[in-house]
Amino acid sequence: MDTDINSKAFQEFSRTANTIINPEIEKWKENGGQVMGYFCSSFPEELVTAAGLLPFRMRATGSTETDLADACFSSINCSFPRHCFNEALKGSYDFLDGLVVYNSCDSTRRIYDHWIDKLKTPYVQILSIPRKAEDPQVEWCRDEFHNLKKSLENHFKVNITDEKISDAVKLHNETRKLLKQLYQYKKPDNPKVTGAETLAIVVACTAMPKTVCNSLLKELINDLENVPDRGHAGARLMVIGGELDNPGYLEIIEAQGCQVVTDSLCFGTRTFWKTIDESESDPLYALAKYYVQERPSCPRVYGMYEQRSGHVKQMIEEFNVEAVILEKLNFCDPWGFEMFTIKNTFDDWGIPLLMLDRDYPLSGTGQLKTRIQAFLESMGGAS
Amino acid sequence: MDDKTKKSLERVYEEIARYEMYEELINQNPDGLSHLHIPLVQNVLRQHRTTVECISEGKPLVASYFTNAPELYTAMDLHWYCLISQAFGGGGENPHMLEDLEALDDMPLSSDICTLLRLGIYYLDAGLLPRPTAVVPLIEPCDGVVGAHEVLRNHREWRDLPFFAPDPPYYGDERSISYFSNELQRMVDFLEEHTGQKMDYDKLKEVCDETNKQYALWAEYNSLRGSVPCPHGHTLGMACFALCNGAGAGDPEHTKWYNDLIINGEKRIRENDPEVPNQKIRLLWFDVQPIWFANLAPWLEQEWGACVVQDMFGFAPYTPVDTSSIETMLHDLGKRNLLDGPMVRQARGIAANFLTDIENIVNDMQIDCVIVPGHMGHKDGSASISFMRNKCREIGVPFLYIGVDQFDKRYTTVDEVKDRISKFFTSMGLGS
Repeated sequence: MDTDINSKAFQEFSRTANTIINPEIEKWKENGGQVMGYFCSSFPEELVTAAGLLPFRMRATGSTETDLADACFSSINCSFPRHCFNEALKGSYDFLDGLVVYNSCDSTRRIYDHWIDKLKTPYVQILSIPRKAEDPQVEWCRDEFHNLKKSLENHFKVNITDEKISDAVKLHNETRKLLKQLYQYKKPDNPKVTGAETLAIVVACTAMPKTVCNSLLKELINDLENVPDRGHAGARLMVIGGELDNPGYLEIIEAQGCQVVTDSLCFGTRTFWKTIDESESDPLYALAKYYVQERPSCPRVYGMYEQRSGHVKQMIEEFNVEAVILEKLNFCDPWGFEMFTIKNTFDDWGIPLLMLDRDYPLSGTGQLKTRIQAFLESMGGAS
Repeated sequence: MDDKTKKSLERVYEEIARYEMYEELINQNPDGLSHLHIPLVQNVLRQHRTTVECISEGKPLVASYFTNAPELYTAMDLHWYCLISQAFGGGGENPHMLEDLEALDDMPLSSDICTLLRLGIYYLDAGLLPRPTAVVPLIEPCDGVVGAHEVLRNHREWRDLPFFAPDPPYYGDERSISYFSNELQRMVDFLEEHTGQKMDYDKLKEVCDETNKQYALWAEYNSLRGSVPCPHGHTLGMACFALCNGAGAGDPEHTKWYNDLIINGEKRIRENDPEVPNQKIRLLWFDVQPIWFANLAPWLEQEWGACVVQDMFGFAPYTPVDTSSIETMLHDLGKRNLLDGPMVRQARGIAANFLTDIENIVNDMQIDCVIVPGHMGHKDGSASISFMRNKCREIGVPFLYIGVDQFDKRYTTVDEVKDRISKFFTSMGLGS
């Protein structure tokens, strides 16, 4: 990644985001640690940390083909799970000691079925996370997390106490607060960190121990104080949408004369803008309340559009956003429907909106550049 | 009635006219099945006329779906209509489909998401849905229903209406049933609050007693469809679903219909007089039929001697409802609507749910081959095809996956579907 940031911490984040397995995971494994993969952002990774395992959020960085997974998924399934499962069949996730999938979307939930059919990972679980966010759903989810805790305890022969969960919540909250602090450097007219860079950092934070990640984030924030003015970066854009873990996509957008100053993405502010309540006496309940009701949801959750659009509006105002890009993966039903309401909302707000479809691997970059350029021109040119 | 209200009933009136014509045609040309077809037509007419009456007279009206326990609506004396029913075009080819699809192409919705659910949004956007008092949407078995109903909930035309969506969990264990039953109780509370209608639990007992009889008769009828040859063609098998699950669930007239269906089926078996003569292939069509190919079943029957013995909606492993208390009724309605209702049963949850159905149907009904049309909206289904294929290989029945849009013939044409099926039958040595 091209960057002006002279920071070892950033280099490590960038390297980590560019690969699936990374030196921190290797070190963790060498020391006898175990790694738990999980899909999507409503999974309570705090429970995995409390179990003494390393949570690793699944992605298919570097994948270019789906030839092996094509026997399991069809061409009308979203390319994200297809590439992920292809990597799994290639052995890229052989370092995992376990995997938890939940009913996040129709294509991704089928990874669970194919994984237990085709792979030998010793621990594979599926969770039922509610599709709406009322109080009984928080209670259901609390029970679901309790069952997951018991299952982890049984399989990994560990004892997950409330104290350990509370400690894990504090640790993960610290990551959230540090990421939020990092985003403050995107608020000025001349941001010190680009959208591509922050995406790389957020992605990397899901693939390394949180203690390491927090230490690197502090180092990076310190380094950013010394980053020189990077010059006027053009129109201030926000990117919203679903699964996007490739900083290269945002690099292409920003190279057209604009700056992605904030986001509402699955690997983005939706995962860290809010923190988990540390004062709640039942930490499992606090986790359930956070993941079901409090964190900005994705469109898989019914009845929460106001909350989702409220988060977008807050970001637009806080970061002085001039226009928004909605990116969605082809064949993604949750975002495919949500875009209708988003379009109407943005018409009401009077904020320019560009809607882009894409496949999981970076492709069609020429068309992407042309569309961004045309969009910027329609706004009166990159300022 | 203002122009907007009139427009919202336009398609309802059209369907009434179409079904009145069907009724007249059947009466003019009676045959040995007229007494079974007439009640189906009259049922649709009764539902549509009640919708018009609700709108005209300001009576409570709910927009909902079949797996939201229709017995509850009957017991509350609440009429409801299905939000997407007009896409099915009143039983024949939908005369508006092409114009609707063209209008849909201009809406800010991805073309790769379920066309049926996109049509539901179009109907509201175009003012073609009667305005209900309350909406009780589905949020399973697919991402599409969640997304589509979130759009409806936030649409400028309906955002002032009360919505409540029961949440079916991913599993089918006792904990899930209890949770979903509680959701149904919350749905009743919601309906009482927003429609002014009260739940009459004595009436619910009567309704459940009646649907219990109907489901038992339906199961008995399905055992007749397992006979060789199958006594009836596809239409009557599919129709079993509509009477138990539609508005007016629990009507004793429906019980009489199931009885008459069994009597007719038994007679045809006894006299070796199947509705579809020269049956050579017994087919499981694992979905609904493409609505743009209304002649699919007749074509299969006439061209190949292939009888659609079962489909996704005609199979009824239904849980009887224990009517001894309010708690048992809600519990068992939860179970029935979580574990038994078509689509929610198969597509919600793990892929094995599809396989159980396929294996049971193939074994119980002496099926020769399985065809999955593969609707483009069924992403979970398309990610489960390899499991279905392997299951069919394991139990020794040929399997075909086509890949269609059940609602848009521009996606896969009638000729392409015919060609795929014909080549499949030929290569598998079926029908010769």
